[in-house]
Amino acid sequence: MKIQAQLRLTAAALAVAATPAFADTPDDQLIVGFSMTNILTLDPAAITGKETVQVLANVYDGLVQLDPVKRSEVQPDLAESWDVAADGMSITFHLREAEFASGNPVRAEDVVWSFKRLLTLNLAQASFLKTYGFTADGMDTAFTAPDDRTVVVTLPQKVNPQLIISTLGIVGPGSILDREEVMKHEQNGDKGAAWLSQNSAGSAPYVLQQWQSNNLVLLARNDNFWGEAPEMRRIIWRHIPESQSQRLQLERHDLDIAFQLAAADLGAMQNEDGIAIQTTPSAGFYYLAMSMKDERFQNTKVREAMRYLIDYKGLNDAILPFYGKEHQRPISGGFFGLLDDPGYTFDPEKAKALLAEGGFPDGMDITLRALSDDPFLNLATALQGSLAKGGIRAQVVTGSGDQIYGAMRERNFEMIVGRGGGGQLPDPDSNMRALIYNPDNSDEARLTNFQGWRTSFMDDQLNSLIDAGASEVDTEARRQIYADIQNRIDEVVPPLLPFSEVVTSAAFRDDLEGFVVNPSWSTDLSTVKKSR
Amino acid sequence: MLIRSRTSSFARQVGTIAVTLLGLLILTFVIGRMMPADPVRAIVGEEATQDTYMQVYNQLGLDKPLPVQFVMYLGDVLTGDFGTSIRTGQPVINDILTVMPATLELATLAILIGSVLGITMGVIAAVKKDRWPDHLIRVISLMGHSMPIFWTGMIALLIFYAALGWVGGGGRMDDYFIGLVPSVTNFILIDAALAGEWEVFWSALNHMILPASLLGYSSSAYITRMTRSFMLDQINQEYITTARVKGLSVRQTIWRHAFLNIRVQLVTIVALAYGALLEGAVLIETVFSWPGFGQYLTSNLMIGDMNAVMTCVLLVGVIFIALNLLSDVLYRVFDPRTR
Repeated sequence: MKIQAQLRLTAAALAVAATPAFADTPDDQLIVGFSMTNILTLDPAAITGKETVQVLANVYDGLVQLDPVKRSEVQPDLAESWDVAADGMSITFHLREAEFASGNPVRAEDVVWSFKRLLTLNLAQASFLKTYGFTADGMDTAFTAPDDRTVVVTLPQKVNPQLIISTLGIVGPGSILDREEVMKHEQNGDKGAAWLSQNSAGSAPYVLQQWQSNNLVLLARNDNFWGEAPEMRRIIWRHIPESQSQRLQLERHDLDIAFQLAAADLGAMQNEDGIAIQTTPSAGFYYLAMSMKDERFQNTKVREAMRYLIDYKGLNDAILPFYGKEHQRPISGGFFGLLDDPGYTFDPEKAKALLAEGGFPDGMDITLRALSDDPFLNLATALQGSLAKGGIRAQVVTGSGDQIYGAMRERNFEMIVGRGGGGQLPDPDSNMRALIYNPDNSDEARLTNFQGWRTSFMDDQLNSLIDAGASEVDTEARRQIYADIQNRIDEVVPPLLPFSEVVTSAAFRDDLEGFVVNPSWSTDLSTVKKSR
Repeated sequence: MLIRSRTSSFARQVGTIAVTLLGLLILTFVIGRMMPADPVRAIVGEEATQDTYMQVYNQLGLDKPLPVQFVMYLGDVLTGDFGTSIRTGQPVINDILTVMPATLELATLAILIGSVLGITMGVIAAVKKDRWPDHLIRVISLMGHSMPIFWTGMIALLIFYAALGWVGGGGRMDDYFIGLVPSVTNFILIDAALAGEWEVFWSALNHMILPASLLGYSSSAYITRMTRSFMLDQINQEYITTARVKGLSVRQTIWRHAFLNIRVQLVTIVALAYGALLEGAVLIETVFSWPGFGQYLTSNLMIGDMNAVMTCVLLVGVIFIALNLLSDVLYRVFDPRTR
């Protein structure tokens, strides 16, 4: 009897020990898991990729901010209002009363200096402004501050002003810096770049307290913030590169938001209590691309055949849940002027007929390049199968980013399954320039930032239409231009065929309120609260 | 005469070390340049224009011929300047002073666990040769050696962190403690103790125990096998039989006689295992989000951050040389025949 009682007691003790006690994250701190592998600096002029934008969206304000829900719209930020000149060649921004985190007032001079700094340093983010003709040489004319509260942006070339306004809402090119604070830390004429890689000088709800590469980013509440004070005292961004580790920590209540989960983990957590998943359209597409350097792909019939060898539904249903959603036009969902999908389907017989018409009745051997990561390897394997049904015998070549996209930049590839295509700027012009536009198809031009150049595709009519679309001010005329562009794309079959639009999927504890993932990556976490 | 001989021996040793380190640097530099990693692209991103790319390319000095780049690098190293990391924008030395303590803490705890476990199991296996404890230990150590540590790490997290809640998850401490303790030494246990933040100390230890145990278990496989083999050599020798005949107990014979004679060899084995842990346990660091040396070296290698990679390789070289020298010294201390 005594032994039995002891056994019962031991069993009960073990059961208590084996039941994990879930301690929630603190009520006033937000803990976010993501991968910091791509973060090399936190200087807004030099950042690249999604993760830095996610962080800095909470540290720097712009003149305007991109609406997280209505993708084509912008909302006021440091600028309370703005007017476009009658000739459409200048925009006047009227600033609100605000202070930087340092306590310095936000002045028009800071805004102008921030844009000039971006163009002078000429790093990653400068390309957003350079695309529309802004240069370091012309910056004194382009950006002026008639008084402390007014900023005038004069367009160097005829561009729809709305495009420029949206561009200034992007974190990076549009981020406004505290000139006085930054220049206090200048070293060897670097305009504070070394200091800004580890510190911040913004006016948004949070300040950068600490960045430890591949470890953590610590944001603390900015007590000088001009708007409503956020409820979260700190945001702790943790580097958790392994998806399953992130999942365990989210399930154990040690994380509030997990940004870097693999599809398998998101799928497994879909119906779990206490966890919610948000999937939002993001920038770019998954695509199958061909190189027109290869003579076989200069044949329109061959390129068209590839259109029917993609199993759009199969890829999106089987491989791309949480990564992308079916999409065939090279313009992002929700963008101005997007037409309905053309409805291409997997049709090997039609593809074979097109290949025969193009002079390849027996198909062909090709190499298909893909990153060795998820979901690219799975996509390549599936595409290998669907291409084979049309007689295209694909050998899959996998490698790192530098090997796969590097080959594309060198125009030294046959086919590639990749991801990209603009869209951070919420306007079809962004997609068109990234995917289709190519003003000079020579090797020497090295327009590696244009996928059109990388795939050696150049169509004068499309180039003219894209330029016209960027400068047209009349809404209906502009809508017609983008319709013409999409119809022309259907007809000439550019060698880059999108089959899915990239989405951002984030899992989070369902006691979070006000968490809305921004399609342009600039998710504002100052609105997040915990309802406990 | 003796002094001259010692001086020349010392000079020869220093020369050998210098040549080894130089060779290591040349090899790393060549491999680094041959790897398909483009540091410029990592800095400027996928969308940058060609003029931006070339501007950064020239800023990094990549337009100069490779031998010139190497000689310039070597010149800087000789003046104590190891350059700036592309990944962090900070002097590489500062980065290493941040990541190395994280690895040192983990590796030291791991080697303590690994040594105690490995030596104990090795001795038992030798004494119980070909009996069930030997077989069981062989299976245990073989598992430690052959199971992918990445997988073991995930399973251990699943059991001890997610299911049982006994240990902390990833990272060096619970997230809400981050930033509470000032970084003095970057050894979190020491910093927490110095600051008197015992909650942080226990949280850090709680986060460290699982990865350290896994690394220790993995190291113990090798230590067990070697200990067993060294012990068997000793047990078969006549002095052991003599000791037993003289009436010493098994325990006394094993631990006071046989074991004392293998400690020199064990020192070398443990030192090398420790060196391997310091070099970085990148997989465990990835699974446990541990911001250590292994992750730093690997992630910088991936983007071709050569200043960081070369310094890390140099450091690993120095660590191994130092450990070898240390085991030489210990040989001299423990084994009178080498004096």
